Amino acid sequence: MTTTNATTIPPATPSSGRTRGGVARGLLPPAVTGQEWVLIGVLAILWVVLSLTTPAFASSGSIQPLLSAVAPIALMGVGMTMIIITGGIDISVAGVLMVTGVTSAKMLVDHDASLLVAVLVSVALGGLLGLVNGLLIAYGRVHAIIITFGTANLFQFVGRQIFASKTVNGIPSTLDVFGRGEAGRTLGVPHSFVLMAVVVAIAWWYLRHVQHGRHLFAIGGDPVAARLAGVNVERRVLMTYVLTGLLVGMAAVFIVASGTSTLDQSIGSGRELAVIAAVVIGGTSITGGRGSVLGTVFGALLVQTVASGVTQLGWPSELSDLFVGVAIAIAVGADLIRKWARERA
Amino acid sequence: MSIPDSVPTTPDPVDLPDSGTARLHLQGISKRYGGVRAIKKADITVRPGTVHAIVGENGAGKSTLIKIISGAESADTGEIFFEGAPITLSSAIDAMAFGIQTVYQEPQLFAELTVSENIFIGREITSGTRVDWLAQNAKVIELLTMLGLPASYATKTVGSLSIAQQQQVSIAKALAGNAKILILDEPSAILTDSEIDVLFNIVRRLTKTGVSVIYISHRLDELFKLCQEVTVMRDGETLGTWPIQDLSIRRVIELMVGEALVEARTERTFPEGDPRLALEGLTLEGQFHDVNVSVRPGEVVGLYGLVGSGVAEIAEAVYGMRRPTGGRILLDGTVVEPRSPRAAQSLGIGMLPADRKAQGMFSFQPIAFNISIGHLSLLSKARTWIDRRQESIVARQMISRLSIKTPSERQPVAAMSGGNAQKVVLARETVERPPVLILAEPTHGVDVGAKDEIHRIVGELAHEGTAVLVVTSDVAEAIRICDRLYVIRAGTTTVEFGPDAKQADVLAAASGDDSDLSAHVREVS
Repeated sequence: MTTTNATTIPPATPSSGRTRGGVARGLLPPAVTGQEWVLIGVLAILWVVLSLTTPAFASSGSIQPLLSAVAPIALMGVGMTMIIITGGIDISVAGVLMVTGVTSAKMLVDHDASLLVAVLVSVALGGLLGLVNGLLIAYGRVHAIIITFGTANLFQFVGRQIFASKTVNGIPSTLDVFGRGEAGRTLGVPHSFVLMAVVVAIAWWYLRHVQHGRHLFAIGGDPVAARLAGVNVERRVLMTYVLTGLLVGMAAVFIVASGTSTLDQSIGSGRELAVIAAVVIGGTSITGGRGSVLGTVFGALLVQTVASGVTQLGWPSELSDLFVGVAIAIAVGADLIRKWARERA
Repeated sequence: MSIPDSVPTTPDPVDLPDSGTARLHLQGISKRYGGVRAIKKADITVRPGTVHAIVGENGAGKSTLIKIISGAESADTGEIFFEGAPITLSSAIDAMAFGIQTVYQEPQLFAELTVSENIFIGREITSGTRVDWLAQNAKVIELLTMLGLPASYATKTVGSLSIAQQQQVSIAKALAGNAKILILDEPSAILTDSEIDVLFNIVRRLTKTGVSVIYISHRLDELFKLCQEVTVMRDGETLGTWPIQDLSIRRVIELMVGEALVEARTERTFPEGDPRLALEGLTLEGQFHDVNVSVRPGEVVGLYGLVGSGVAEIAEAVYGMRRPTGGRILLDGTVVEPRSPRAAQSLGIGMLPADRKAQGMFSFQPIAFNISIGHLSLLSKARTWIDRRQESIVARQMISRLSIKTPSERQPVAAMSGGNAQKVVLARETVERPPVLILAEPTHGVDVGAKDEIHRIVGELAHEGTAVLVVTSDVAEAIRICDRLYVIRAGTTTVEFGPDAKQADVLAAASGDDSDLSAHVREVS
């Protein structure tokens, strides 16, 4: 329904609201939330400290790989943010990444596929696997963590079958436009990062201003009430998983492109946790109903900055896991405290 | 006091207005759930711009009738007319399309979203694909103003509002959906007195705009402040509709209760001596205050109160599910502070929870599992493995003792009737014979035969020396099984009744009519 015609309400006069930049103040959560400002602050401090302690950190040779590494995580994070806002989760991301990555790599090696074909195949295949997840979760009414745990194993099996126990060797330079080399950058910025930023901007708008995007928050808040309010809960949930599949397919291209000419079965391993970490650190509530893609980008940046900083300081790499773990604990704790404070109020 | 001889005769119900001029007219409605006839025959006519109350005891069929009107359930027989035209309602969405909107007790709102967004979710005003926030906000502000609510609500997140404010938002939401009939299901149960006044003002403003309001409440005194017409239900039938000025609280109660059957009470000797369980000035801020109750060994004591009176919370506090903020709980004269159900159990307090599906039962597990859980250390060898044979023996003993109808103790509880399942949970609570047993709504949703059985078991338990505290909203049950009965109103013990309490008196005390209480009733000091 696009309009209401309640007899009891006089027609609206859109000019009567207090406006700021076209939208009345307080109608929406702030464009950049408090938690995101905190993340920005933490990132800024980290960068300043790292630049001062390891001069190499501020160099383009260090920043560019960091942005390249953030791009696929944040891109997948966009879909994962929407899924988690609806109260779901997708832990099959690594499996989808493996299937789409190895398929596109083999297309390049065995069939001499063009860039466009490789990208389209990877994205379409990702969307198909997302559709499998989405159908089972939206219409099967089984909790997402169980479904995607099952499909994660299934997809990994399929991926290994395609690998056929061998690494894929001799990947041509077709994908270099999304790679780490000079061909993958314009004015020093990696193309993959730019593409990710565009997707984030669209998703940010969708989640803040588009009807269907707002419905995701309603579903995460109370699915029964959302259905009563006329929200097509199944369709919206299905679409978040399909979208995530499509984005994982694109992220697979970035990962293959930024690797060497050899691809082995470790592609994807652990990435689902990196993505979920970015989303949670970015302030999206793991219980649903609240979140933002902007936070997810900052979350991904924080995770990569920590990893990169730990390496450059010459510290043992386990410390990076420790710091990420602490960041997750703080983010989840902040969410719990916020909820607890509200219930007390 | 018996119902006085001089009961003023209740005038005949008014003639139903012509269904053509009525907003809503239901005729010959009946509804069956399995073997239970929830509604035998219901007729109701709601006029435009009026507040129409539906009253009746628990189980009279009110909530089923409301579910039929709001589209949540379909009637088996009967017809529904909306503004003169016959309609069918097969879902809540159907009903909303006709402008029949329901405000449930639990607000169906999204805590993380603003009031403005909540009101329009699912029917946003859009320009292109974009939600038109300004237009929505403007309409919400007009809506809030019309209801006499502050416009500043519009941009607040629902989670930051109080329960009363959330209810007001629910009403605004219902109105934004073009409401012609607004169903308020026990709206005052969760509100304080001043919040109720705000609610009434909102309802009065609404009826002036032509909206019909169907008002459900157990607090009968409210009807006289708010409603124009009252439909009384008893035993699944509508008795008729009366203009409010033809009735009084007492007459409404008499209509609800009917020719109350004097049920045969088993003669019992009432125990004397010191109380086993005593609550002294027990207080939990915001829920109940200054609650004074005592239960002697061998005594069945009832706590009767309407939904929202705090009666359920009192039981939960005694069982360690809530932490009281004042007063004392004494067990055999010693102050105790149960901080968890586990602590309460180790003190010798057992509880049969009200919502057995959510709190008390493992549906897919066998009866034996459901009985033995919680007593596993008693049934295990060297505290390491469970003695299955012993478990079966205990389960079989309890099955025969409580007359649980089942072919075997290995049967899952999910397959059993409500009454039998309830007995399984009761069996679990009585395996170790706790000195104090709290029963919350022990026969809720249970058929009549099983109800008798459970009442018999409760009597036996008391006879064997257990101090039984029954928390119930079924007044007939309270009078039938309790030796003494405390009425809880507005969060505190108000009146105490002896064994010969009358249903009408108890109902009157619980709903706020203290006039002409009989001599053997005394105010709790």
